[in-house]
Amino acid sequence: MHIGHYISGSGHVALIGWLIFGNVFAAEPLPMQVASVSVVTGEQYAAAIAAFQSPQSTTEVAQPETPDAPDTPAVVTEPDAPAAITPPVQAETPPTEEAPEVMEQALPQQAEVSDTAPELPEPPAEVAVLVPEVADRAVPKPAERIAPEAVSKPDPEALPDPVVQEAVQKDQTGELPKEPTDATAPEEAATEIVTEAEKPAATLTESKRPPARRPEAPVKVAQPDPKPAATPNPEQKPAPDTSDAVNAALNEALASASSAPAAASVPSGPPLSAGEKDALRVAVSSCWNVGSLSTDALQTTVVVTVSMSPDARPLDGSIRMASYSGGTEGAARQAFEAARRAIIRCVLCSDTLPTEKYGQWQEIEMTFNPERMRIK
Amino acid sequence: MRHLVLILWAVFIAGVPGYVAAQSQGPLRIEITEGVIEPLPVAIPVFEAETAGSAEIAALITQVIAADLTGTGLFREIPASAFISASTSFAAPVQFADWKAINAQALVTGAVNVQGNALNVKFRLYDVFSGAEMGSGLQFSGTADGWRRMAHKVADAVYSRITGEGGYFDSRVVFVSESGTKDARQKRLALMDYDGANVQYLTDSSAIVLAPRFSPTGGQVLYTSYESGFPRIYVLDVANLQRRGLQSQDGTMSFAPRFAPNGQTIVYSISQGGNTDIFTLDIATGQGTRLTNAPSIETAPSFAPDGSQIVFESDRSGSQQLYVMPVSGGEPRRISFGPGRYSTPVWSPRGDLIAFTKQNQGRFHIGVMRTDGSEERLLTASFLDEGPTWAPNGRVIMFHRETQGAQGRSTLYSVDISGRNLRPVRTPDGGSDPSWSPLQ
Repeated sequence: MHIGHYISGSGHVALIGWLIFGNVFAAEPLPMQVASVSVVTGEQYAAAIAAFQSPQSTTEVAQPETPDAPDTPAVVTEPDAPAAITPPVQAETPPTEEAPEVMEQALPQQAEVSDTAPELPEPPAEVAVLVPEVADRAVPKPAERIAPEAVSKPDPEALPDPVVQEAVQKDQTGELPKEPTDATAPEEAATEIVTEAEKPAATLTESKRPPARRPEAPVKVAQPDPKPAATPNPEQKPAPDTSDAVNAALNEALASASSAPAAASVPSGPPLSAGEKDALRVAVSSCWNVGSLSTDALQTTVVVTVSMSPDARPLDGSIRMASYSGGTEGAARQAFEAARRAIIRCVLCSDTLPTEKYGQWQEIEMTFNPERMRIK
Repeated sequence: MRHLVLILWAVFIAGVPGYVAAQSQGPLRIEITEGVIEPLPVAIPVFEAETAGSAEIAALITQVIAADLTGTGLFREIPASAFISASTSFAAPVQFADWKAINAQALVTGAVNVQGNALNVKFRLYDVFSGAEMGSGLQFSGTADGWRRMAHKVADAVYSRITGEGGYFDSRVVFVSESGTKDARQKRLALMDYDGANVQYLTDSSAIVLAPRFSPTGGQVLYTSYESGFPRIYVLDVANLQRRGLQSQDGTMSFAPRFAPNGQTIVYSISQGGNTDIFTLDIATGQGTRLTNAPSIETAPSFAPDGSQIVFESDRSGSQQLYVMPVSGGEPRRISFGPGRYSTPVWSPRGDLIAFTKQNQGRFHIGVMRTDGSEERLLTASFLDEGPTWAPNGRVIMFHRETQGAQGRSTLYSVDISGRNLRPVRTPDGGSDPSWSPLQ
């Protein structure tokens, strides 16, 4: 570990010694011009100066008389006439109700309701397009999964997997060219959330109805329903359990992080290339699901440390939150749990993390910054 | 010059090993800025029945919990047919490897105990890939006929622990139930669980009713009724259906009421002589205060959750736009500037967003914007979407959608504030003007 220090120190000592004792900065004197001068006495100098002095003037200039200042005109002040003020109009106040109007109403019978939500036919599809929508940009196809890269709908037979693989089946001779495997393909994904308002208006109809703002004039009331109103069934409120264990994971993580030993193992082997780092980043990104995070957790950046085994799997209990920023402690706990799930779920293969560089990725510090995910 | 080159070369030779050594120290550091957004796979085995008569209710509770979680669009239930591990006992240790194998990222286990009319429900939540329990186990006690609420409470706890946000399943919605054709439509107030179950009617259909609004505690409902011939505001006590009308002047119309966060004041509109302004009314004293005084139409007021401001719609600029003013009145500040007309603003219970209805180019939208009008985002589009209301956690919006034509039907819908998970809410008849209660 200290080889670099020894080389650097030796080099510096040699350099400083060479600079001091090697007469490196000794230089020849610069060329100089020489001029002869003569020495004069004080009297000679005074006589020479006197010949060049200017004549002195003693003429006085009469100052002009100061004119008398005119008297200050008397200022007559009058009190300001008060401006006419119209008294403010009192706000129109609804008169106080003398006695509340109470309607005696017998408690109606219990409504006949079922516990299961009733079946409701789907609303009829809206038809005709009167207003074509002009989109400013290409509208991506909505999908349940939002990912950094859009993925078209895979073969329904394919199992979800980040790696695309075709199924191995028997050939025409009825023999398997190699071990049979299922087809795999990434799940369908869009790059951003597409709301209904952003979809093409293929099934929408122009509405002629203005929004309801004020009640309309009284209209004829439809025939009353003979069925009396039902009595709400006051439900007994279960006793809430106020036990709170929400901080346990966070405290444990922070305590573990603060007490983590500083003596990390010495990285060995050449550092990871940019491509290898990118592969690791992509692998973790594909498992980092922020869909169930709260708004606050999506404002929180967490730094997570993890110790890896040589077969590129996180060691049990080694995933810890080193720090967080931008959110509350509770939000940090949610964000950390999502990050931990991402790390554990990602089965990292040796292609991503080369074994010969294990010393470089034995300890990994990952910063999960959801800033770009908030605008999806 | 030759000496200078020698110096630089010596410094370079001496420094490179130190630099390399410095770079090699410490862990490998990477930054992850791109992730995925997809439903979290969750396994919910049928809760264990601890007594002989508990099996049926245990199955029902499990179904409701699963429906609550998957209905958010944030979770995906793993079908029981994929389970490797059969969860037979609530106390048995969890075989995490079996759940990992089917990619379950969260596991909910529970047990139900029914004895007479007493019902106990307990559950535990596990993070499968870390092999740890998320929070401690919880137990709810109540009566057997309240099993659905117990299930909602379990789902709320699971949702809250995973997402970090408050739940909204144990809540109710008051709305206007509509039946009949458009030209002879019957309307009455109805109350239901957030998911459309347990519908109960609060009024009959002898008079048209509009715009019911829950009080902050959920115990009262404000609504507008035409039973006197003119629109008038009533306060209804949900527990006993007792109600009283608020004072109104002859020749005026009172409508669009909404409670202040303190539950003691209401804000509403009065229309008189073709002009509409916004007033507040102290329910206890009956003292009213005018907040706006303009020749334009000001209506649909909604309080900020801290009670300091009111958002409302006004056409003072020539078209319907949204404005915010202090609760004491004063000069309003316009916050909507996009094309089209904006109406029915509702302040989020979190205070961060305002939901609204927008009409533009012949289409209606439900949208959200920041309270300063920035970051407008339209979530829906249809022939007629209107009347948004917020879930107690400020993450979901419910509204009503009406289809075109004489046979058009009004249906309640819900949508996540991201614009995802747009889905209808099942009600026996049509529904409009929903108002979401706080958590019970």
